[in-house]
Amino acid sequence: MAGGDLYDVLGLEPGASREQVERAYRFSLELYGEGSLATYSLLEPAEVEAQRARVREAYEVLVDAERRRAYDEGRGYAPPEAASLAPAGPDAGEGAAARIPRVLSGAELRRMREARGVSLRHIANASKIGVRFLEYIEEDRFAFLPASVYLRGFLQEYARIVGLPPARVAEAYMRHLPSRS
Amino acid sequence: MALTVSEALSRERAVNRRQIWSVGGGKGGIGKSLIAASLGWQLARMGRRVVLVDADLGGANLHTCLGLPAPERTLADFIQRRVETIEEALAETGAPGLRLLSGAADLLSAANIKHVQKVRVLNRVRALDVDVVLIDIGAGTSYNILDFFLVSDVSILAVVPEPTSIENGYRFIKSALYRRLRAAAPHGGIRRYVESALDPKNDLGLRTPVDLVRRVEQEDPAAAAVLRREMSSFRPRFVVNEVRDERDVAIGHQLVAACSRHLGIEASYAGFVHYDDAVWRSVRRRRLFMADAPTSRAAEEIRQLTRGLMKGDSLGRGY
Repeated sequence: MAGGDLYDVLGLEPGASREQVERAYRFSLELYGEGSLATYSLLEPAEVEAQRARVREAYEVLVDAERRRAYDEGRGYAPPEAASLAPAGPDAGEGAAARIPRVLSGAELRRMREARGVSLRHIANASKIGVRFLEYIEEDRFAFLPASVYLRGFLQEYARIVGLPPARVAEAYMRHLPSRS
Repeated sequence: MALTVSEALSRERAVNRRQIWSVGGGKGGIGKSLIAASLGWQLARMGRRVVLVDADLGGANLHTCLGLPAPERTLADFIQRRVETIEEALAETGAPGLRLLSGAADLLSAANIKHVQKVRVLNRVRALDVDVVLIDIGAGTSYNILDFFLVSDVSILAVVPEPTSIENGYRFIKSALYRRLRAAAPHGGIRRYVESALDPKNDLGLRTPVDLVRRVEQEDPAAAAVLRREMSSFRPRFVVNEVRDERDVAIGHQLVAACSRHLGIEASYAGFVHYDDAVWRSVRRRRLFMADAPTSRAAEEIRQLTRGLMKGDSLGRGY
């Protein structure tokens, strides 16, 4: 691939948050991992190995605030916002509020989750909500969903773990409910 | 005046709305025909007028996917001029809004139709008065197949999470792109570079489309700009079929990233369909699972996929 830009190596844009760097790194490790299907026949084993080394090198620089600042300055990139460099905290996902539509279907929710690479199993483990309920939410199987007060709690947990604004997501999905039931 | 204003407007709307979708993938047996049939079925269900074209000219079986007997009229009748118009070769499917233009299973030579015949078919297919023409293109990377893919507004590339399918998928993408670049090359010199790049062991060290454009850039920046423009408008949409777990789902995101980082192609991930016994049972009954098992997971995923493709949505980049 072209040049040596560390952001390109991880498939990121300059200004990416610390959390995005972490996600892109994990994604790239999978992409160039041992036995990865997605690079099969596209890259030679030696190229995959070289790519892994570049991914690690890029990550080590971009995850270190000091080294990243020096790198950005050298390239003439605007520095990322200071807050975005902190590891993800409880407020993670609030920045995505603007992108949550007013009404949210289960399918859209699922799309957002998948786009962030979070599995239902992971949400179930982290939240102790049964996978079946999470599936019912995404499949809009309203008849199987619990009472509103519980459902709202499930939705907020789901959103928090996926990295979406919990209150906005719960509101938008609840608005979707009566129109379909 | 031949047309009233409203007639002219409605005709223009019809023409503007019409889209050509195709489903390819390079490898046989990965569910291309089932995906095409179910997308077509769902589009018709959503009120679109759809013609499914079985362009797998050597091994046409879309009719079986739809639970129909082999249609009396096929594309072969049109190619051999036994019928005048392509409309006469269309078969009703029983599903409102969905008609089928069957391939030419009875005509082995049709798999090698001549260029003029292919152009005639493509032009007539484009002129059909419907909302969506959905082409199930055959396996392989022959020019006929690639051309059906390249004329599409929505080019769907089906893969299953297996090395053979991924390998053929990449081969298909590269062949299609190079065919497009070759056609766009402004002069013979550039065309020869594209032809060299087609050979994976070429002496010029051109391994990927990115290498090719870089090489052309050194000699003819204007030609390189033309090739870049062609590359940026080539946007295959991956559908990963027969996924079994989250790791399989993630392969679609990884394919998009690999295409972008190593081939310079901006593909997208349209969606995935789980491996589902309900589909298999419907196939055995010679019924389309969309109608036969509408509450199955695969049927719901096809409905989502169809809605996403209509809106031009994708699953994002996965990280």
